[in-house]
Amino acid sequence: MSAGARRPGAYAPSARSETSRPGTDAILERRYRRLLACYPRFFRRESGDEILAVLMDCARPGQRWPSPGECADLLGSVVRMRLDPGRSSPPRAITRAARLMRVGAATEIAGLVIALATASSVQSALVRQHVTFLAGQWRDLLLFVEVGVPVPCFLWLWLAWASGRGHRWARSAFVGLFGMYTLIVLSKFAAGAATYAPADLVVVGIQWIIGLAVVLLLFSRSADTFYRHRSMPPAAARAR
Amino acid sequence: MQEATFLILTALASGSQHGYGIIADVREISGGDVTLRPGTLYTALERLRTDGLVAVDREAIVDNRLRRYYRLTPAGSERLAAEATRLRANATTALMRLSPAPGGAT
Repeated sequence: MSAGARRPGAYAPSARSETSRPGTDAILERRYRRLLACYPRFFRRESGDEILAVLMDCARPGQRWPSPGECADLLGSVVRMRLDPGRSSPPRAITRAARLMRVGAATEIAGLVIALATASSVQSALVRQHVTFLAGQWRDLLLFVEVGVPVPCFLWLWLAWASGRGHRWARSAFVGLFGMYTLIVLSKFAAGAATYAPADLVVVGIQWIIGLAVVLLLFSRSADTFYRHRSMPPAAARAR
Repeated sequence: MQEATFLILTALASGSQHGYGIIADVREISGGDVTLRPGTLYTALERLRTDGLVAVDREAIVDNRLRRYYRLTPAGSERLAAEATRLRANATTALMRLSPAPGGAT
């Protein structure tokens, strides 16, 4: 039968009255923030401001330092949370998805290497198929591939980073980009890329499968539950 | 279920409340015996949210500070009802055993 504190009057929630000076509040707030900095970043971002507001509401008028009891309570809570990271960090499905996204970034580099290694055969196949294909067009195409690689590479890594930190928007962004990528793959097939650049298409296919696996992981039950708990309240509730 | 958890769920049973409101309500419910501290409260709320027993109802900014209101989920209501029933049964048993049996030894 234990709870936060048991001595009546030892920590009575008392609305911080108007006797508190703004300067004192700022000092106390800064000191509370230092304590809150011990929480896992994820939890701090989610609830740090809220806990701070409650701490300030409960503080005594004129209080400048967190009391020993408050320090013990906050640090104890930090230890409990850090010993049980499963409570505050993304579930395994999301961390796996983030890891797969990093693999996806690596396949972009592999794709560039393959594109450069097979460039001459692809060029001759293109010239055979399209008699009007000019050397200038080929140079532009190659330049586009070389310069363009860092962009998807960055997107994979960026979304991996954001997903690993439990950002819900990263899931939406990934789904949008995966949809676009699917359209690009289909258009490549429609353009007959399978006949002139089969090696490149293998890489594209692997990337698509990785992307699909990421989407499935991000929409798994555990990930969905996690995002639902982390999400802001629904608009209807806000408007209440 | 820990006493603090039971009291937090009880505080939310009558409607949504923010953190400071829960602390004040728990203190009142327990007759001043239990005063939750913010660290304890938010660790418990985090666990209850993860377990699906409590959800965020809405948010408000009061005096430039974030105030988040929590509510019981249906699963939270069921869990609280089950725990209250269990505690009542235990208390009834304890009281029955304490009361002198008719015709028994004094």
